[in-house]
Order: sequence, then structure tokens, then C-alpha cells
Amino acid sequence: MMRFALTLLFTFTFALLSSSPVFSDLILAKVDRRIDLTSQIVRITTSLKVENAGSNPASEILLSFPENQAKHLAYLTVTLNEGKGKGKASSGAGLPVEVVVPKDVPNSLTFYYVSLPKGLGKGESLLLDVLAVFTHSLEPFPEKISQADIQLLLFQDTAHYLSPYKVTVQSLTVKLPEARVESYTKLEGTKLSGSELKYGPFHNIPPFSYLPIIIHFENNQPFAVAEELVREIEISHWGNVQVTEHYNLFHGGAKSKGEFSRLDYQARPYVRGASAFRRLVARLPPRAHSVYYRDEIGNISTSSLWGDSKKTELEIEPRYPLFGGWKTAFTIGYGLPLRDFLFELDGKRFLNFSFGSPINELVIDTLIVKVVLPEGSKVISASAPFPVKQRKESKFSHLDLVGRPVVVLEKNNVVPEHNEYFQVYYKFNSLSMLREPLMLIFGFFSLFVACIVYMHADLSISKSSASYLAKVQWEEVQATVQQIHNIISNCLTAHDKLEASLRDLSRTGDVQACKATRKSVDSLLKGVSKDLKPLVAFLQSSPQAAHILPKVEELIAKERDLQERLMAKHTTVVDCYEKKLGGREIENRIAPNQQKITALRQEVDDLMDFIDEI
Amino acid sequence: MAPKAITSPVPDSLYPTLSVLTLAIGLVLTASFFIYEATTSRKTRSLAQELTTGAVASVFLGFGSLFLLLACGVYV
Repeated sequence: MMRFALTLLFTFTFALLSSSPVFSDLILAKVDRRIDLTSQIVRITTSLKVENAGSNPASEILLSFPENQAKHLAYLTVTLNEGKGKGKASSGAGLPVEVVVPKDVPNSLTFYYVSLPKGLGKGESLLLDVLAVFTHSLEPFPEKISQADIQLLLFQDTAHYLSPYKVTVQSLTVKLPEARVESYTKLEGTKLSGSELKYGPFHNIPPFSYLPIIIHFENNQPFAVAEELVREIEISHWGNVQVTEHYNLFHGGAKSKGEFSRLDYQARPYVRGASAFRRLVARLPPRAHSVYYRDEIGNISTSSLWGDSKKTELEIEPRYPLFGGWKTAFTIGYGLPLRDFLFELDGKRFLNFSFGSPINELVIDTLIVKVVLPEGSKVISASAPFPVKQRKESKFSHLDLVGRPVVVLEKNNVVPEHNEYFQVYYKFNSLSMLREPLMLIFGFFSLFVACIVYMHADLSISKSSASYLAKVQWEEVQATVQQIHNIISNCLTAHDKLEASLRDLSRTGDVQACKATRKSVDSLLKGVSKDLKPLVAFLQSSPQAAHILPKVEELIAKERDLQERLMAKHTTVVDCYEKKLGGREIENRIAPNQQKITALRQEVDDLMDFIDEI
Repeated sequence: MAPKAITSPVPDSLYPTLSVLTLAIGLVLTASFFIYEATTSRKTRSLAQELTTGAVASVFLGFGSLFLLLACGVYV
């Protein structure tokens, strides 16, 4: 009833207004309005043919909406229709539209100025397409329904196009979701054919004319409304854009009253619970990976995902079907390859991403988009094709020192038409990417430094206790034995060189090279005995080395023996070659020596291993 | 001038391979560091060798753990 009173009030106001001053000399020659009521979002497409009947060229056109409609207006775009005929879609981006409040009109109207790129000259005409999208404009009537009732909605609008200009010819078509209409305002020439309701055509209507119509119809489309949606888009320069979306959904249609019978719903879902919705379809960008769907309890497994090269489709089913007024909350997350969304131009990098939610036909009351940029990003700015509220925040994430800068864009009343691309610009030095591995490297290095410090530090309390002194002496013995071990290894390497030279001799017959090798090895081995003397002396003097000393002396003696025999063998073989004796002869001569050499070598190796392990 | 798409400096598909390789080398160097610590006595130890082995090992371990994190999906 309140509604009817309001509409009557509007009619009177506009009757008064029609006598107010004319805004300009433009005339709307032909107006075709199509109101699309097939989903919870009301879309009104108006094609205007504007004629300049006055003498001054016009550069702006005014559009007006009544106040109660204007506060639900989510999206308004005006495009120039260049084609002749109805089939051609309008090309190019929309014309700039601005809200304005002219001085001498009451507050019950909201005006929008559309600036034309080139002025409309005298006598010229222009075709414009206006798309206006409204949310929460369908009122459930009755407001509360039980599970078995059908959902009926009320839509109020005007049959005459509300405009500050005179309209010569206009018509109105209303598209309904089903052929079932409870009631509608019947005017002259109103026709209902199937699911389309046609009003008009009306001729020569004065400006600001408002003829209220009310349509009461059934609509079982899903009324998914998100109270709040927080979309977090985190960019990592190592190759991934991670999107996390937190939804708080409710069913925005007629509220459910009475009991919910699961049995009735499962048995006949289209009769008991026709207005409830069970699944939502989200259209994600192609090449989305690692998609998850969970809520506070945990993972929700009722979902399916399939993708091709143009899109990835995710179909999700909440844990229960949503009836009027019921709520649910969940989180969807997915990763996207970086190269599809991050670009570089003129030294600045920018992220090109879609603003709205990927879920089809979702109305969002408050949408918050947070873009998390990598640490070290500077000179950050964001630009969107429609007005949004911006602010900056900071977030601490993996391997962060000072936090990552976050750009927060907030918008109210968002519809799927807002799924356009927005950009976030920033500057980033590529070398800053090295900060993360450097942090890890520094962490590991500090572990190694701690280890070194521990090994070098002398943490004993008393420096003169017997056990401390014993430990120190033992370490000295160890060091000496190690040095002896190293020297003996060098000797053994020299022996190996000798043997190798003998083999070379048998292959190439080069006696001179062999002799040269022997000379060098000779000098090496001479120095060895000199080095060994002080070390052995120290071992003899140290009490701790008592059990090692015999073995060490044995090792040195054996090594000396081995050395002599090897030198003898070498000399013999070289002599034989010089005398050009046969292979058999050589073998005979060195045979006794060779056996001993092999045996000695084995013993020396064993002793070396033993010494190594103390 | 058309905008150029930005990708990561190392191709994505190489992350697991790189992480295994660098971690293996890093662990081998760590092992050699600890063997050196265990077998030498206080006198014969050289600080320069310890520090270089530790530094090279930590470089490989650092990159290895970074690529390991990236290969597991934690895009740091």
C-alpha cells in the first residue's frame, strides 16, 4: 500500500514538473525499452533516437531515473549505436556519464549527463543504447513463503519513459522468466504473448511523464546475493597469481517460513522448493590450477571442475540447498599463470585482472578486492573503468621483512556487468627478486657459522685439570699422526707414479722419460725421511701415543723397504730395456722382487687404514 | 608499443629438477663440511677452508630450498 501511495506521489510531482522549463531542445524521436526480468538482476535496455530540434548544437544528453530506482542502480552504460537496423550491436566503449543535480528539480529524480564526443548539430539525429542494471528491484510478494509455495515477485516501473525531453514514439517490452504471470497493470493495447509483455506504442508523450505499472510474476531463478565478498589476488614474480575469494552468500528472494522437510525436497525438488537453489557455476580464467573449495569446517567435496582453452568452469554445491533468507559462507581459491595477467610497459609493470566475481549472476552488496604486490614494489596506482574506493594496506606473507603493499578497492552493489578488467601499476626492480633466496642463504650460512664457532670455542672451565691436559695432548698426537699419514700417502703416490712409468715404458719404449720420472721421484722420497724425523721424535716423547707408536714405526719401516725394492725393480727393468732383452727375461729377473713388493704394499695399505681410524 | 608479458626468470617446469639438483649438491657440500670438522684436529684446521665450504654449501642449500618451496606450490 505504501508503494501505491509513493507512485501516486510521483505522478503528481511529474505532472507539476511537466510545466517546468524545458532542458534543451532535444526530442526523443523513438524510444524502445526492453526490461529483462529473467533473473534476479533487472536489466533495462533503452534505444533512443535523439533529434536536435533546436538551433543550438547539443553536447550533452540528460537521463533521469526516479529516486527509488536510482538507489538500486548498479551499472549504467551508454553507447552510440552506429548501425542501421536493430541487429547491429553498438561499438566502442561507453560514453562518459556523470551524475548531476540540476537546480530546479525536487530530489525525487536523479539525473545523469551523457557527454557526446561531437555535438549534435541542428536537425541531426543520433542513436544511443542505454543499459541500466538494477539490483534488489524485485520485491518478493508475499514476503514469506513456505517450502511448497511458489515465489512471486513484484516489479514496479513506468510505462512511459521518464525523460526530461518530449518523446514522439515509444514502446515497452517486458521479458519474464516464465509464462506464468500472476497479475499486471493492463493499459490500452497491452499484450501478453508467451513470456513477453508488450506495452505501447505511446505517441507524443510530454517530458517527465510517469505512468506506473506493476507486474506480479513468478521467478524461480537463483537469487544468490553475496553480502560481502573479499577477493585477494596475490602476485608472485616466480610465476603465479593466487586468487582467494571469501564469500558470504544468502538467498535474496522470499524468506522461507515454516519447517524444511528434507524428505519432501529430495522426493520432488521442483514442487517442494522450486525457488531454492542448489548449485552455483563459476567461470574462472583458463589455465587455472590448484582450485580448492572449502569453508570453516573443511573441504567441500561437492564440486566439479572442467576446463578448456577459453575458460575453466567450476560448479560448486554448498553443503545444503539455499532457501529464502538462508546463508552460507565458503572460500574458493585458485592459482593462475603469471604471464596471462602481468605485463610490462614503459618500465612500469601492471596487473590486468577482472574485477567482479566469477560466479554467474551473483549480486554482491559489498565487494572488496585486495591486490597484494610483492615486497619492494614502489609507485603503486590502480585504475578501474568505474568508480571505486581505494586505500592501501600491508600484509605479511612468506619470507617478508617489511610486509607486502596491498591495494584495496571497494565497491558496493556489484553485478556481473562489472566483470571488466582493472589495472594496478607499480615499479619493481628485478634484482629485488634475489632478496628471497639471499635470505635463505643467509639463514643457512648462520647455521654453518654457529657450527664453526662451536668447534673453535674452548668451553672448558678449568685449563689445568688432568683430563683437559690429556685431551690437549691427545689432539696433538692425532695431528702428528695425521701429518705422518699425509706424508706416507705422498710416498705411495710417488710409488704409483713409478709403476705407471714402467707401464708406459712397456708401451712406448721411451727410456729417457722413464729415467726422468725416476729422478723426480728420487728427490721427492729423499725429502720424506727428513720430514718424518721430527714427527716420530715427538711421538716417541708423548705418553699418549704409546699404543700408536709401534704401528707407526712399523709403517715407516715397511714403507722404506717397499721404496727400496721398487727402486731396484725400476732400475732392473730400465737396464733390461737398454740391453734390449725380451719380455720373458725381464719378468724372470724381477719375479722375486715383485712378489715381495705386492705383499708389502698390501701391508702398508692396511696399516694406513688402521692409523686413519684412531 | 604492445605490453610484454612478464614470466618468472626460471621456467616453471624446471622447478622440481632444479630443486633436487641444487639440494643434492648443497647436501654433499654440507656433508664434506662436517666430515672436515670431525676428522681434523684443532691444530690442522683452517678457518678459510671451513668458511668457504660453509658459504658455498649455504648458497646451494638456499637456492635449493627456494626452488623446493616453489615446486611445492608455496609461491614466495
